[in-house]
Amino acid sequence: MGKLLRQLKFQLFLLPILLIYTLFSIYPLLKSVLLSFTNFDGYVKSYDFVGFSNYAKIFMDEALISGISFTLLFAFASTLLITVIAIPLAIILDQNFWSKNVHRAIFFFPSIPSGLLLAYIWGFILAPISSGVLNGILEKLFGVGPQPWLSDPMLAKASTVVISAWAAAGWHAVLYLAFLQSISKDYYEAAAIDGATRLQQIRQITLPLLAPAMTISMMLLLTGGLKVFEIPFALTRGGPGFETHTITQVIVLRGISETQYGLASAMSVVFFLIVLAIAIFQVKLMQKREEKIQ
Amino acid sequence: MTSDNKKNWLLDVLMLPIGAITFFPFYLIIINTFKSMQETAVSPLSLPKKWIFSNYVTVFKETELLRSFGNSLTITAVSVLLMVLIGAMAAYPIVFNPNRTNKLVTMYLLAGFMIPFQTTLIPLFQLMTDLGFIDRLYGLIILYMGGAVFVFFLMMGYMKSIPKELPEAAIIDGCGVGGIFWRIILPLLKPITVTSIIYQTMWIWNDFLAPMLFLNSKSNATLVLEVYSAKGEFSVNWPLFMTLTVISLIPIFIFFIVMQKQIVKGIVGGAVKG
Repeated sequence: MGKLLRQLKFQLFLLPILLIYTLFSIYPLLKSVLLSFTNFDGYVKSYDFVGFSNYAKIFMDEALISGISFTLLFAFASTLLITVIAIPLAIILDQNFWSKNVHRAIFFFPSIPSGLLLAYIWGFILAPISSGVLNGILEKLFGVGPQPWLSDPMLAKASTVVISAWAAAGWHAVLYLAFLQSISKDYYEAAAIDGATRLQQIRQITLPLLAPAMTISMMLLLTGGLKVFEIPFALTRGGPGFETHTITQVIVLRGISETQYGLASAMSVVFFLIVLAIAIFQVKLMQKREEKIQ
Repeated sequence: MTSDNKKNWLLDVLMLPIGAITFFPFYLIIINTFKSMQETAVSPLSLPKKWIFSNYVTVFKETELLRSFGNSLTITAVSVLLMVLIGAMAAYPIVFNPNRTNKLVTMYLLAGFMIPFQTTLIPLFQLMTDLGFIDRLYGLIILYMGGAVFVFFLMMGYMKSIPKELPEAAIIDGCGVGGIFWRIILPLLKPITVTSIIYQTMWIWNDFLAPMLFLNSKSNATLVLEVYSAKGEFSVNWPLFMTLTVISLIPIFIFFIVMQKQIVKGIVGGAVKG
């Protein structure tokens, strides 16, 4: 009896998390799947099952297609750009120079504030009129006329990716830095004795040993990139047209603003499947790569 | 990588312009808060000809900054505290009372870990409406509790490093299941608690989507929401809007300065385990 009571007392500690998790994660997920097969619009309490028609509609909705394609583009482009910046940055910040700590702080700081605020700051810099800060600089230095940074589809997409890289590269550099600092100096000394140049050392020792860090960093970037919302929303409001609409923004627009619950739920489910597929694929791929290196 | 302790000043020269460009946006908004609208429009880059402070006075007069700061603080503090507690509580039986049920519970929690908030948005919105949680600070706080799952995984990883003999010795000393948790385990969790607090504080303090959807009256606005709604109101007055932005950045900047070492440590700890 005492033993059973003890077990019960232990299990009670699980109660809060199970309640909250079931209510705010599992139940809404299942409900999303259910709603995606209905024509529920929020006004009438009753609804009919409509099969896969919501899923078919996704591919006819301009906003939804834009949302998916821009979000995928953003996720992959920002992951690539941030990785390409963060690794060299980490290698440099690992060296010994006077302003090392100042630079670590400068590069890291943009990852601390809300993306919304950061994007608004950049909105001022990229203001498309000739009085915009960047356009002013370009005019003075190169005599280039005003560029529509946020209103041209290509430029707007590129701007969101670059600004996200500016915001997150330092954070990921710090992650790589931690792994760099755990690499034993003996490797480099042995390589130096064998006559390897600094560049060869980086290619043959540093990069392979950073593979586990790359798995973590790129996984975080890719899943985070798929959930992106604030920076494009604050920078371009999703424009021009639907060009920089993210999946999240489209779900809010179709689901909450227009109460097309069925359609938006189908969108949510597709989004979930994309996130899941990419995550599984990435983990598998990275594991294989790490095995090959070791 | 350098085996000698000589400082490489060439890297200082190389990094100076790169660092300056990275910092440039912050320089820009700070100096423009001390300018008039006209001066910002004509010469946004240079230091103010005459430093004016009226933008700061106006911002405090025209917005409810202190109130939204208070709202952000309440929401963040309460939800982070509860999340840490719920997460730690959940990890306790999983680690110290392992059995088949608890293995299933772990798998159940892990399964939903990948669920993006966006996927659950629409049912969540209905649920929050049905519960009467819309436009209530406590409603948002309860919603954020879902983040306890992340804390749970951090805590579980850390708890496994606590020697099993410790609670066993406490049982002999007459400590109950609850007593062991509150008096022995919880105090040992300090390092991972710091990591959890940093991660969740940065998430909730900076969150925009959930407050935008679930808090609609001005009196409940968080700091981020206050800036968002001001974007529309001050749309033409850049210096004023930037002043508001700069003031909103101050709390998180202080957090960064005070916690920098822990943040860096926390990133690595959280990323590797989470």
